[in-house]
Amino acid sequence: MDWILDFYNYRVVGQYLPEFARGVGSTAWISLLALGISLSVGTIVAIMRISANPILWRIAAGYVQAIRSTPLLIQIYLIYFTLPALPLLGRRLDELEGGVIALGLNAGAYMSEIIRAGIESISRGQIEGAQSVGMTYPQRMRHVVLPQAFARVAPPLLGQTAVLIKDSSLVSFIGVFELFGAGLVVLNERLMPNEAFLTVAACYLVIYTFMLRVTEYAQRRLGGAAS
Amino acid sequence: MIDVILSTMPFLLDGLWMTFKISLLTIFFGSLIGAVVGMLRTLGYAAIDYPLGAYIHALRGTPFLIHLYIIYFMLPETGIPFLQFEAFPAAVIALSLYTSTYVAEIVRGAIQAVPRGQGEAARSTGMTALQSMRYVVLPQAMKLMIPPMGGVYVIIIKGTSIVSVIGISELVRAGEQATQRHPRELMVIYGMTALMYFAYCYPVLRFARWAEGKFGGVRLPS
Repeated sequence: MDWILDFYNYRVVGQYLPEFARGVGSTAWISLLALGISLSVGTIVAIMRISANPILWRIAAGYVQAIRSTPLLIQIYLIYFTLPALPLLGRRLDELEGGVIALGLNAGAYMSEIIRAGIESISRGQIEGAQSVGMTYPQRMRHVVLPQAFARVAPPLLGQTAVLIKDSSLVSFIGVFELFGAGLVVLNERLMPNEAFLTVAACYLVIYTFMLRVTEYAQRRLGGAAS
Repeated sequence: MIDVILSTMPFLLDGLWMTFKISLLTIFFGSLIGAVVGMLRTLGYAAIDYPLGAYIHALRGTPFLIHLYIIYFMLPETGIPFLQFEAFPAAVIALSLYTSTYVAEIVRGAIQAVPRGQGEAARSTGMTALQSMRYVVLPQAMKLMIPPMGGVYVIIIKGTSIVSVIGISELVRAGEQATQRHPRELMVIYGMTALMYFAYCYPVLRFARWAEGKFGGVRLPS
C-alpha cells in the first residue's frame, strides 16, 4: 500500500476535506450567481438582437462579438480592476462581486445566442395567434414566446452552464476562494501537487458528469413536449 | 495616456507574438492528435471507443487550468526524466491535449456526416478501407470541418491567456507586467490587451461564419 500513499496520500486529502468541501460550495455559489446574471443578460441581449431597431441590435451584436473575441481572463481583469474606477459605483468591488459579474457577462453572451435560436424557432402561427387575441409585444414575449423558447433550448443552456462552472475556476486569479483555490491551498501548505490537483479534477469531473446527466434528462423530458 | 500607450506597445506586441506562436503550435499538434482520435472513434470498435471516449470526457469535464497544473507541477514530481517540462512545452502540450478533444469530435462528426453510401461505393469498386477514407470520405468531410475549426482556433487563442499563470510572457502576462510599471493606467493597458485579442480573434470568427455559409458544417460541440 505504500506506493499508493507515495503517489496519492489520501490521509492528507482527508485532512483537507473541509477545505475541498468549502471549495465545492463556493464554486456552486459563484456559478449560481453568475448563472442568474447570464440568463437575465442573455435574455435581454437576445431580444435586443432580434429587434428591428438598428441601434438595439447593433449594440447586442457588438456585445456578443466583443465577449466572444476576448479571453475570459481579460474580461475578469477589466471588470475587477476598472469598474471601481467608474464614479457611479463609489466603492471598490470585492473579488467575489467582480468575478461573478465578469463570469455572468461572459456566459450571458453565449447564452444570448442560444436563447435567440430558441426564440427564432417559435413558429409564426404562435405569434400571430397571440396577436389576434390582442396581446401586446411584451405580453406575447412573456406568455407565449419565451416559455416555449426556454423549454426548447434548455439542454444547450444546461451545457453552457457546465462550461460556466468550469470557467469559474478562473476567478481564483483575482483571489476568490473556490474549488481550484482549495487545491492551491494544499499545494502551498503541503507541496503536494498530486493530492491537490487530482482531487480538484475529480470534484470537477463529478460536477460535470452530474450536469451531463441533468442535460440528458432535460433533453428527454422537454424534447418531446415542446417540439 | 498617449505616452502610456506608446511606451507599453512594444512590450505588448512581444506578448502578442508569444500568443501567436503558442496558438499556432497548438492548432498544429491539437489537430494532429484530434484527427487521430476522431478517426479511430469512427471505426466502431468498443475496445478503442471506450478509452478514447473517457479521454475526451475527462478533459472536457475539468477546467483547462487543472490540465496545465497537472502537466506543469504534477508530472515532474514523478521523477521520470521524459516528463520534466519547461513552462513553454508544458503550455503547448496542455493546450494541444485540450484542443484535441474538440477536434476529435469535429472530425468524427464530419466523417459520420458523409453519407454511408459514399464509403460503401468506394469499397465496392475495390478500394481498401484506407483508400476509401483517403480518396472519397475525407475530402468530403474536410469541407465540413473548416467552419468549426475556426471556432476551435479562437478557443485556443483565448486559452493561451491562461498559460500566463505558469510564467509565460504571452499577452496577458505582458499586460500584467506593464501595469506594474503604470499602476494607475490599468484600464488603458488591459483595454489595449483586450483590443489585441479582439484583432486576432475577430477575423477568425468572421472567416468561420463565411465558411459556414459556403461549406455548411458540423456544429462545434460546446
